[in-house]
Amino acid sequence: MRSKLIALAAVLLGVLPRSGFAQGRTISGTVLDSVTRAPIELARVGLAGSPSAVSTTAGGQFTLSGVPAGDVTLTVRAVGYLRREIPVSAGTSTISVSLSRDVFRMEEIVITGQATGVARRNLANAIATVGAEDIDVHPTASLEQQLQGKVAGAEISTNGGAPGGGVQVRLRGVTSVNATAEPLYIVDGIIISDVAIPSNANAITGAAGGSNPALTQDGQVNRIADLNPNEIESIEILKGASAAAIYGGRAANGVVIIKTKRGAPGAERISISQRFGYSSLMRKIGARRFTTAADVDAVFGAGKGALYCPGGTCPYYDHEEELGGEKRLAVETSANITGGTQNTRYYASGTLENTPGIITNTAFRRHSIRLNLDQFVSSKLNLQVNTNVIHTRADRGITNNDNNGVSYYYILTGTPTFVDLRAKPDGTFPNNPFQASNPLQTAALVSNKEDVWRFIASNRIQWTPLTSERSSLRFAAVGGLDYFIQKNTIFSPPSLQFEPQDGLPGTSLLSNSDNLNLNLDGSAIHTYSGHGFTATTSAGIQYARRSLDINRIESRNLIAGQENVSAGTAVRVRENRSLIKDLGFYAQEEVILMDERLALTAGIRADQSSLDADPNKLFYYPKAAVSFRFPGSPSGFLNEFKIRAAFGQTGNEPLYGQRFTPLNSTLNLGGIPGLVVLGTTGGADLRPERNQEIETGFDGQFLRNRLSVEASVFQKNVSNLLLTRNLPPSSGFGVEVFNGGKLRVRGMEVAAAIIPVQTRELSWFSRITFSKNLSRITELPVPPFETGGFGTSLGAFKIEEGKSATQIIGNYIDPATGAKALQPKVVGDANPSFRMAFGQDVTWKSWTLHALADWQQGGSVVNLTRLLQDAFSNAPDGAAGDTRIGAWATGESSTYIEPATFIKIREIALGWEMPKRVVRSLWSAVQSARLQVSARNLFWLHTPYHGFDPEVSNFGNQPIARNIDVTPYPPSRTFFFTINLGL
Amino acid sequence: MTRTSRFTTALLGALTLAGCHALDVADLNNPGLESLESTPTPVALNTAATGLLVGLRAGIAEPNGYITLLGAMGREGFNLNTNSDPRYVAEMFLGPLDPGSGAFGANIWAARYANIRNTTIVLHATENVVGMTDAQKQGLRGFAKTIQALELLRVIGTRDANGAVIDVDRPATGAPGAIATRAETYTRIAALLDEALTSLQGAGGQFSFALGEGFTGLDTPAQFAKFNRAIRARAAVYNNDWSAALTALGLSFLDTGAPLTLGAYHVYSTGSGDATNNILQGTQLIRANPLLISSAQAGDLRVSNKLAGTETGTGSSGTSTTISSDQEFTIYPTNASPVPIIRNEELILLRAEANLGLGNITQALVDINFIRNSAGLGPYGGATTAPAVLNELLYNKRYSLLWEGGHSWLDYRHYNKLTDLPRQTANGKFFSKMPFPTNECLARNPQPTSGCTPESGF
Repeated sequence: MRSKLIALAAVLLGVLPRSGFAQGRTISGTVLDSVTRAPIELARVGLAGSPSAVSTTAGGQFTLSGVPAGDVTLTVRAVGYLRREIPVSAGTSTISVSLSRDVFRMEEIVITGQATGVARRNLANAIATVGAEDIDVHPTASLEQQLQGKVAGAEISTNGGAPGGGVQVRLRGVTSVNATAEPLYIVDGIIISDVAIPSNANAITGAAGGSNPALTQDGQVNRIADLNPNEIESIEILKGASAAAIYGGRAANGVVIIKTKRGAPGAERISISQRFGYSSLMRKIGARRFTTAADVDAVFGAGKGALYCPGGTCPYYDHEEELGGEKRLAVETSANITGGTQNTRYYASGTLENTPGIITNTAFRRHSIRLNLDQFVSSKLNLQVNTNVIHTRADRGITNNDNNGVSYYYILTGTPTFVDLRAKPDGTFPNNPFQASNPLQTAALVSNKEDVWRFIASNRIQWTPLTSERSSLRFAAVGGLDYFIQKNTIFSPPSLQFEPQDGLPGTSLLSNSDNLNLNLDGSAIHTYSGHGFTATTSAGIQYARRSLDINRIESRNLIAGQENVSAGTAVRVRENRSLIKDLGFYAQEEVILMDERLALTAGIRADQSSLDADPNKLFYYPKAAVSFRFPGSPSGFLNEFKIRAAFGQTGNEPLYGQRFTPLNSTLNLGGIPGLVVLGTTGGADLRPERNQEIETGFDGQFLRNRLSVEASVFQKNVSNLLLTRNLPPSSGFGVEVFNGGKLRVRGMEVAAAIIPVQTRELSWFSRITFSKNLSRITELPVPPFETGGFGTSLGAFKIEEGKSATQIIGNYIDPATGAKALQPKVVGDANPSFRMAFGQDVTWKSWTLHALADWQQGGSVVNLTRLLQDAFSNAPDGAAGDTRIGAWATGESSTYIEPATFIKIREIALGWEMPKRVVRSLWSAVQSARLQVSARNLFWLHTPYHGFDPEVSNFGNQPIARNIDVTPYPPSRTFFFTINLGL
Repeated sequence: MTRTSRFTTALLGALTLAGCHALDVADLNNPGLESLESTPTPVALNTAATGLLVGLRAGIAEPNGYITLLGAMGREGFNLNTNSDPRYVAEMFLGPLDPGSGAFGANIWAARYANIRNTTIVLHATENVVGMTDAQKQGLRGFAKTIQALELLRVIGTRDANGAVIDVDRPATGAPGAIATRAETYTRIAALLDEALTSLQGAGGQFSFALGEGFTGLDTPAQFAKFNRAIRARAAVYNNDWSAALTALGLSFLDTGAPLTLGAYHVYSTGSGDATNNILQGTQLIRANPLLISSAQAGDLRVSNKLAGTETGTGSSGTSTTISSDQEFTIYPTNASPVPIIRNEELILLRAEANLGLGNITQALVDINFIRNSAGLGPYGGATTAPAVLNELLYNKRYSLLWEGGHSWLDYRHYNKLTDLPRQTANGKFFSKMPFPTNECLARNPQPTSGCTPESGF
């Protein structure tokens, strides 16, 4: 008992001190995998109760000396395997130990605090872990896409199909109305930036209009897209406040903790991976077919048929194929080397990736270099340095909403199929007679480049000044920075059809943003193992500073079509700065008692932030959790059962600027500047929103670890929502940002893992997840208001007391009167009824097959792409489109609200491990080689949706208003062939 | 155990003590209200003072601004652009004036109080600024109070018996100030202007801030004091305080030897960040009342100077109400044309009005004839009874101050003679006052007894 706890403590410390052995006997033996009978290298074998242990060799052999005479018990552990206690009688000196795989990761240490962890078997929260083998089966631009379908309770949706990311992660439903919707991302201990900086494409599309528009329709990408999935060792997802409370005022939407790969002692291992592939257009929406000139006359007026269909029959051009039909070669090359001694370990990796998109001039490229070093300076001090330099470049084209006639698919909805848009033999493009631009010309000539250089460095020092048999004291300091510069250039040359529209032909847009996140954390952790229990006390302080400056230049009327912004005669400049400082303190106590059956945790976090009206006020976020294990027998039906309950509170900080009462400094009187009030004011006690979550559930392993079920139910209560209210105008102001209102989310998650077959040659691992949640605004101190969307007739999101937070309202025809009803009604809800995912991994000899299916049932999407197509009389089903648009015009908004149901086959991969002798005969230096073909988004089993993709968001990442479809970049399916070599 | 737990407690204690760390980050993108009020620099304060004139002209020369809305109610001219918004005719002619209609029936409130907030900010900042002389501070006080009084005068002019909020120096997000009565409001306006005058008299030879071209000749403290007295006179006349009006006029820039156009103006330009005059001649469907021509006295040059024929514009509400006109104002030829705040011609007429109120009919006629003469009319030849001379005065105020700031409505309403104006359409209504905006009513419990329901007119 005690030995296990001390061993646990030793693992937590990361330091395995050596002490001299007394004289005694020697036990030797081998450690094998229970299924494959293969030897296990680097297993740790030691006396139960002693912190010292020896490692097994490559052949699985170990020799343990200094063992006392008499019966002893040995503890044998290995990464990825379940622990075993082996009794060794006095006379035995050679043993053979077989360990079974820890398929359900019960031995894994899960992070439960800033610097502490608990084995999964004792964990009191439903924390999901995704390992390296589940990430990077098939390359994607963004890390979040790798998590789709792998985490119960997480809704991970793409905003559009453009290369380079643009994904929203929503954990356990909505959490806020006006505050941030993003989880906190922590990489190797430091909080990294996940801002999404718009490219300012709005300056040519005019999607948001106005002179100071909210740039949410530029197809912006959040910077998690820079991270390289193949450098990641594991990802842990804290889904709610009960797990994330210790991260305080920024953790209301959950926390994603990413650990990158580290070196291990031993001879260096080199791994090289080369991939080739391509993307292709996955889905078309089609358009109206006109066969004869009479068809054209019927729709566009007499005489048009003769004009466009000379000779009576109409030509047909598949514009979607012309625009999105590219299939260019995608290449990813990556190599990593890992190795080290007992004291110095390293992991170095480099990746070059180039994935062209299906539309010309669109692509995503990533170049990444990483070096992770671990240095054990002494038995008490160790250092960890992680550095990563990334360069990404995303060219995403011009899609989504538009008011100036530029966005490719917006224009295609209104361009009939008999119009030839292709380039003429001399290279120029014809004008589009029906719309303001020719999308093929726009795609060929407009460049929209997002170029990011990023440097992430994190350093950790751990010092363990006091270690004894029972207790240890450890100090850890983590410091790091995340710095990136993002340059967005959009160039729209004057030769384009739409350029002269505003009288200023040629537009060049340049935006430079630089972001710096600094983190400094200090913690003290004390562990004590006593008579049948372990207590870990930790306390720490965390300082984070983040700044973001965005500078935008818009230059119009370009001289000689020059791209340089100096070349324009009408130049406009804007700058936006932000600086945020956060300071937090925490303390936590974790106790494991009763023979490792009962685990109790209690903790508190105090946070202050420069975003609150009182930057020196501390807000407290408590947490508490309990879990009780019923250990069964390893060979019976019930192997492990645990019930758990957890409670926690986190905060969601106000956004930068909300607490200020700004004055407008841009006005003047005949050139003399004048300051006036702007009309909004921040509440005098503006504070973070408070998110309280209670979660309870059970985890069980059954049938000799062939079945694992994990189920949780939770309730989230968010109070102090950041809202705006109208002020009486006699105050001089119109609007105040204040805290008020309550939101509640209830939900459940079930994750089951089954191993139906496990033999030496064949194994089949199947995972199923199910999740469901419902939200409701329980209190709203202001009148109901619309948040997101384009107004009631086009489907708007409305925040209303007593209703779902994601309800969509629209107009309707009152059956009683036959006319449009005075008040709109609920026509949909963006929240799906449930989500399920099915993952299958089959291994047969040296072949592996992996498949992942993602099922979303229910939810609604506002399909404005279809509305546009119908309005332009261009619907693929012809006259039915005219009927639809007529119904909508009379007031039936639900015409364009469609269900968001889909079953997508996200990933399929087939791999083959080449036999070692074949590999060596081909190339003696190579130890192993693996080939794989894989596809992502290969096909969709079912979706009733008439647009491109029911996973869509015109406004990017939003707390509430997703699921609005306005001519996005279409989705693509990607194929890759991969060669992995291990040297 | 005990040793380490004591150590841990000490560590936690040290951490909490270290926690009182200032994390204040200011607004990096805009100047902030708090910093301007509590720690202003002279430059910022001067910019805020000029800002009072930026705020003063906001919402005046707009398609649904002060001039247009009061002009419609006073039947001077109208915006007939009912395709853009049906309320131009439906609400402004047929009514009711709707508290929920912040752009129409409940207009002339939010922008005025926003500028009043600007004046309280300037007054607070003046108390806290370092680096300015006392004279300069007096100049700021005098200027800010005069502007505040002018804004309150606009508000009470539109709300009349409903009242207005005069307790404006309160925190923005606390309880709103009480609705004061008409009398209390006029008392406050008079007090503000008199306090401002005292400050201006101690403000030295020049202001620390620029007033722009609209105040040419009125931009030193001594000259601005004359503007202050001009506003005082107008307020006194609206409040039937005749002798105070005459006293104030004596100290104002009234001068029968000076051009009638002498005065203070809102100025506009097309420069970046500047505002434009958006009711310039030719603005879509802004028309003058064609009945101005038939109601004019023969030979009145003001008609030919200020009106011109143009293509007929029509605005309608439903099928029963149609208003059309083929006349437009030529007063604002470009989008940089200035708009008068108060000028000499009005002061002369105010003197006539004050004298009339005191019963000095002969004195009044001197000024009325002066104006008539400059308008190409001979001396007044009608009855010299007070009511008859009043009608003549109102006629002259209407035509002299046409389309400059709702003078017809304010003056005819003052004497309960709105029905003397043309109805324009059979079911056209006259309104004696505008209601409060809804948010003003919702913020008070109990709601004010008058001003929170639609104003149906008569």
